[in-house]
Amino acid sequence: MSELQANISGIIKSSVIDGPGNRMVIFFQACNLNCMYCHNSHTIGLCNLCGICVQACPTQSLKIDELNKRIIHNESICRHCDTCLKVCPENSSPFYKKMSVDDLISEILEVNDFISGITVSGGEVMLHSEFLRHLFISIKEHPELKNLSVLVDSNGNVDQQDWEPLIDFVDGFMLDIKAYSSGIHQKITGFSNERILNSIHLLNAKGKLKELRFVLVPGYNDNVDEVKKIASLMKFVAQDVKKVVIKMRKHGIRQEYGFLSEPTSSEMQHVKNSFEAYGVHPLVI
Amino acid sequence: MENIKDRVLEVITNGNLDYKQKKHHLAYIAENTQAYPEVSDEAMKALDEKVICDLFEGHAPYRPRYILPDYKRALRTGVKYLELDPPTDLDEAINFLSILFIHVPSITGYSVYLGHIDQLLLDYVGDLSEEAIYKKIKLFWRFIDRTLPDAFVHANIGPEDNVIARVILRIERELKQVVPNLTLKYDAEKTSDEFLTEAVKTVFDVAKPHIANHRMTGADFKTHYGVVSCYNSLPEGGGSHTLIRLNLKKFTDTHSGDTDAFFSETLPKYCQMTLDIIEARTKYLVESVKYFETDFLAQEGIIKMDNFSAMFGFYGLAECVNQLMKSDDKDFTYGQNEEANQLGHRILEEMKRIVDARQLPYCEANDGKAFFHSQSGIDIDIEETAGARIPIGEEPDIYSHINTVAPHHHLFNGGISDIFHFDETIKRNPSAVLDIIKGAFKKGMRMFTFNLSDSEFIRITGYLVRRSDLKDFREEGSRYSSTLFGANSMDNADVDKRIAKRVNSYERTASKY
Repeated sequence: MSELQANISGIIKSSVIDGPGNRMVIFFQACNLNCMYCHNSHTIGLCNLCGICVQACPTQSLKIDELNKRIIHNESICRHCDTCLKVCPENSSPFYKKMSVDDLISEILEVNDFISGITVSGGEVMLHSEFLRHLFISIKEHPELKNLSVLVDSNGNVDQQDWEPLIDFVDGFMLDIKAYSSGIHQKITGFSNERILNSIHLLNAKGKLKELRFVLVPGYNDNVDEVKKIASLMKFVAQDVKKVVIKMRKHGIRQEYGFLSEPTSSEMQHVKNSFEAYGVHPLVI
Repeated sequence: MENIKDRVLEVITNGNLDYKQKKHHLAYIAENTQAYPEVSDEAMKALDEKVICDLFEGHAPYRPRYILPDYKRALRTGVKYLELDPPTDLDEAINFLSILFIHVPSITGYSVYLGHIDQLLLDYVGDLSEEAIYKKIKLFWRFIDRTLPDAFVHANIGPEDNVIARVILRIERELKQVVPNLTLKYDAEKTSDEFLTEAVKTVFDVAKPHIANHRMTGADFKTHYGVVSCYNSLPEGGGSHTLIRLNLKKFTDTHSGDTDAFFSETLPKYCQMTLDIIEARTKYLVESVKYFETDFLAQEGIIKMDNFSAMFGFYGLAECVNQLMKSDDKDFTYGQNEEANQLGHRILEEMKRIVDARQLPYCEANDGKAFFHSQSGIDIDIEETAGARIPIGEEPDIYSHINTVAPHHHLFNGGISDIFHFDETIKRNPSAVLDIIKGAFKKGMRMFTFNLSDSEFIRITGYLVRRSDLKDFREEGSRYSSTLFGANSMDNADVDKRIAKRVNSYERTASKY
């Protein structure tokens, strides 16, 4: 079995919002975008053992393990106040763990009777392409797990060679398009979107694009031209790709992005109408 | 006598009761002028103190508690007593059943079982279109709700997908009636995912049907079975003479020894007392009332005494376990801790052993043994959690919840229920519910019932009320400041005062007069 390990920021054993059916969702640590409205900004960075969270913890439940280069978390005294997450200058967390493929297989086996499949998410899960290949092969070759569906929830910001080795083992990819114009994308995420657009087209051509999502951010990607381009992209991809327009919500976003405003119901309705005028009928949530 | 006269007057002049409700209460008062079937003084004391509860069945049982007529046979042979010939088409079949339903006795006065309704009617569909069937059944469903206004009246559908069952689910979603309660029998090999999805979507709208593990439940019965009232599984063409339930909390509170003494003395003593009461009531019904010799259902073979047994129920397992843990100086609670859960299983297994070891008269349907039933509670249960459930508000995550309760579901041939709650986001993903139901059945659950947290329908023990009917009460609910569970129970206790009074559940109100 593979000795590969990945940084896992969390596992949700029952999710009804990460693909069809009841699914186990595995969240990987670290992301290569930095979206203003990220609700899980503590999954963006990696820990560099600076110790700021250790100092800030009001219950002294964190300790640096110098030998193993990690942070030890004493769950019995932790109050889950999240001070550690708020003070981290790296947008990271002291809680993520290194796990092997075997570790994850054991976790999946525990809930196998109750789920349709697994969804891997992040952070940006495609940064762990090699690990994922091993994980997915292990699932598809396991006598008890082989019928589980495998979905990948990604920002799409990786090269073609990262997708290719996975495609045969994945039932579907769920991608976001944060903005169509590169400049707007840069503003929202800190990075341009050429690779993302390529990924959408590649996965669509392979018949593996399952869902394409657009998060509406007033003042950024809600202008007529942008909405038209996004709608055209959604119209271009295969008909059976689920299209979703999501209302940006401020819950859980970082303080420095507090100036963002949530779209109103009428703005959401307006955008929905615009999409429909272009012949796209997205689910609006 | 003065006391009885006062009680009768109170019922007669009570403006909150309609005519039929008054008649029911008057009958209850009259019945209770008789002496209770003969049991020991100790058992009588336990009844008075509600350590053992007879669910207000009355002092002189003159009809079985749960009757499940063999409607299929009745349709085939006709019913002489009611001058009904075998029907030849769907209109006649619906008319036949409508008449028969009204004549089936029960403790509440309304039949607790309307049969395996889709299977009964399928034979009469002929070449009718789905729309024609829909119109007829919609009127039938309205008739049932208006003439049998009792939330314990229960119909069954499945396991196969069929036009009648589909139409019923559609009508349920449209009419949003409390009556009838509904169970879908699910069998992985017979029930399609599409049909189960229809059922799940119906639960989203009206909090029913319940989903029964058909293969598991069917294996417990010699004949066909039905799910009736509040999750009671019983033989068709028969039923249960009585249901007596033991309040595990109440006698554990007064138990003074250790856990070993609980198992060797206290638990067996109260179980035997409960069985004594069951036996006395059964004998009264069969030998003194001669019910099975005199009622037309028995005379015409629509029910047979051989298909009857009695039900041994209990409630308050959680409080019983927690009290025993406390006596052992352990701060472990049922539903949260493995040692406490194991103690719970041990108590249930011991009760089952005691129940199975006692031969009861006139209980042929289960070879002389009572059916073992985890009773889902009534409004007077303030401090006790229903049956073997985990207390409301203390339920762990869904997998832990299922893994805690599934291992004991196999014990309950008389039925058991646990209620699961889902957030409304699941409405967009009904197949997630299918996954969880199938997983729960693989783990050995007998029955799966779930609610949405924002549903218009609220499940109270095993039956439903509409949220809008409760609204006024909820707005005043703040005067109850005790624990969440206490508050919920108090809510429940007052539900029947607030809901539209046309729909009632007499067993819960009978004792008030």
